[in-house]
Amino acid sequence: MTNRWIRRLVPSRQTRIGYAFISPFILGFILWLLIPMLVSVWLVTREWDLITPPRFAGLANIQRLARDPMFFQSLKVTAYYACVSVPLSMTIAFLAALLMNSKVPGINVFRTIYYMPSIVPAVAVAVMWSWILNTQFGLLNHFLQSLAGVKIRWLQDPKWAMPALMLMSFWSFGTTMVIYLAGLQGIPNVYYEAAEMDGAGRLSKLRHVTIPLMSPQIFFTLIMGIIGSFQTFTAGYLMTGGGPENATLFYVLYLYRNGFRFFKMGYAATLAWVLFFVILGLTAMVFRGVGRRVYYAAD
Amino acid sequence: MGHGKFNRRDFLRLSALTAAGSILAACSEPETKVVKETVEVEITREVEKEVTVKETVVVAASPETAELTYMGWGAGPEEDAILAGIEKFQEETPGVTVQWMHNASNKHLDKLLSMVAAGTPPDTAFISTGVYTRFAEEGVLLDVTEMLHGDPVLGMEGYFIPQEYERSVYKGSWYGIGFCALAGHFYYNGALFEEAGIDPPSNDPAEAWDWDHFLEVATLLTVDANGKHPGEDGFDSDNIKRWGVNYGRWGIPGHGAVFANDGKIINKQTGLLELDQPAAVEAIQRVADLSLVHHVMPESAVMEELGMGTSQMLETGVLAMTVDGQWALSYLNQLNIPLGTGVAPKMVKPACDITTPFQGILAGTKYPEVAWKWLRFLAGPWYQRQLCSIGLWLPNQTSLLTENGVKNWITPGIHPDGYEKIASEYVMKYGRNIYMPPGYQEALQQYITPALDSVWNGNKSAAQVLGPAVESANQILEENKS
Repeated sequence: MTNRWIRRLVPSRQTRIGYAFISPFILGFILWLLIPMLVSVWLVTREWDLITPPRFAGLANIQRLARDPMFFQSLKVTAYYACVSVPLSMTIAFLAALLMNSKVPGINVFRTIYYMPSIVPAVAVAVMWSWILNTQFGLLNHFLQSLAGVKIRWLQDPKWAMPALMLMSFWSFGTTMVIYLAGLQGIPNVYYEAAEMDGAGRLSKLRHVTIPLMSPQIFFTLIMGIIGSFQTFTAGYLMTGGGPENATLFYVLYLYRNGFRFFKMGYAATLAWVLFFVILGLTAMVFRGVGRRVYYAAD
Repeated sequence: MGHGKFNRRDFLRLSALTAAGSILAACSEPETKVVKETVEVEITREVEKEVTVKETVVVAASPETAELTYMGWGAGPEEDAILAGIEKFQEETPGVTVQWMHNASNKHLDKLLSMVAAGTPPDTAFISTGVYTRFAEEGVLLDVTEMLHGDPVLGMEGYFIPQEYERSVYKGSWYGIGFCALAGHFYYNGALFEEAGIDPPSNDPAEAWDWDHFLEVATLLTVDANGKHPGEDGFDSDNIKRWGVNYGRWGIPGHGAVFANDGKIINKQTGLLELDQPAAVEAIQRVADLSLVHHVMPESAVMEELGMGTSQMLETGVLAMTVDGQWALSYLNQLNIPLGTGVAPKMVKPACDITTPFQGILAGTKYPEVAWKWLRFLAGPWYQRQLCSIGLWLPNQTSLLTENGVKNWITPGIHPDGYEKIASEYVMKYGRNIYMPPGYQEALQQYITPALDSVWNGNKSAAQVLGPAVESANQILEENKS
């Protein structure tokens, strides 16, 4: 009887082997994700400048949010970036995927070329685009001046700095394009044949066949796009420093400054948790609003 | 598979054991040995009467063999000079080794803070100006006052320039020693001045250009694609072939402009910003107007951020002169042009910002006495001569500023003729520090920088934005006062 109970408590050899294989991930998850998350919750009620021990601060960090104009500015800037760049980059990636789904000789070469920008390191992208967007000597203004006789102060004008960074983000649509391409190739031809038989043209097929059957991929990239865009940091940090006039003060850049420049790690932790709930809320809204319209072929 | 054969499972077990063993070995602390010895060091110093005196000083031996860590930034000639300094120190101090921990300059503070927070700070490090007072206040830095005052060389009266005593001493104590003196000054392409028949700027502050003359010269040197100068009929500001000047909008050059108009950045007594005062406002607007009104300076601030535009622009003749920090000489001297230097223009009087980072000992060091020996080496004549001779630093030690002293670091081929006056006259007589109290970086980044952006872009005037910006920034400084 006792032996049976012991056997129930001790996992089987196969289970033990399974845990052994996933132990590096579990260890990493605990050490570098779970514990830091729990510590950051604790830090919300602390003032910590990294160089002296944390001191209890009650709700001071949360109260500070309400009277911090830069908190609202950074949230506004990031929301603007997310609302414009996510739908536009998804659209560009979708159109590119439609093109890459063509059966033309050498299409693999084109797919590679369009994918490559997405694997260029972020710092290299930032430096390159700093030159392309340069007011005086940049390539973009060179074309604009030749075609339309205008020169835009891309990274110096508060009105244009954010559109400039959005433009830069569109360049790296390769990953999303590949996801859409995989989705397009998974659509059975029978649907297109049936639509043709009903007299559907190209646009009709796109609207009534392609897009509905691509809805899982579109839904996935929308969620991932929202999550990613709210965490944008590199472009603002490297190219504009949050300027000009805080026009590109991304939320995570502001969070980083509070932690490592202004010696307010407790407030930075508070900002991080606000961001978590903002993204969670937006994701829940998207699930409720759009999630029901997603068509899964297996249903 | 049978007994005695080395199968896949055996291989995996052995690999796991090897990996675990390596991790354990890497986590173990190195051993330290205790060795006592006496070292004699010969010190040469020049006194005010320019008499060379050689003294043999018995320096107390390091009580133990130690490995110091030294964290900082630097690339190319700067890093080479640092490594040469480490080698020289190790030769002079047997048993002590210095491990150089290099960071990119924009990552240095993050790394240092992380190590301090983790309880594993380096022994010695570069301490940025913006955090020096905070670190001193919070006990992160070792108080070296007694060691410095008791030092036979560094403790001599007048060893450093007066500005060094002013900036390194915080609430009566030394918590670090400034690297050197910095200064913003002209660099110019001599060929363009000769071609235009204009006298270039001088290295002697007594002959500093006033602002109107500077503007006149910059206008003459600015040329559009049709050969027109600003102000002439038909001048096309969108098609400029060569700009007269690139004046650093903020940092060392920009601060220097405020001082040159007898303005203040911050009041050391109150610890509050004074950028909204008329002199500072006027100076900032004048610098902005160089591109907005007079069209003698490129608009693109991005060129400065990229850091490589000035060299190329000077070399290709797209730029006639620039006002930049003296460290630029370490790479501009390699340009294929007749490079000249001169003091920056004055508005009321010559002035320059000489604020510099510090060398400091972290309070958590296990070897305070050995770390002091390293710090005094870094602040000593030999090390400073090395970095001044490559055009990176200017001396903050008076012995290197006498008529004979300058010969120890002025390098033909790197320093243009007459450059010693930048150090012995400009820095000594007109150099000013900026006091940066706790909260200074936050105040600047949150309010001053965005306000100045609107001035550089021409969206608002300095008079419109600096008042409200300084008021908000000073609230942060008040909050940080403890």
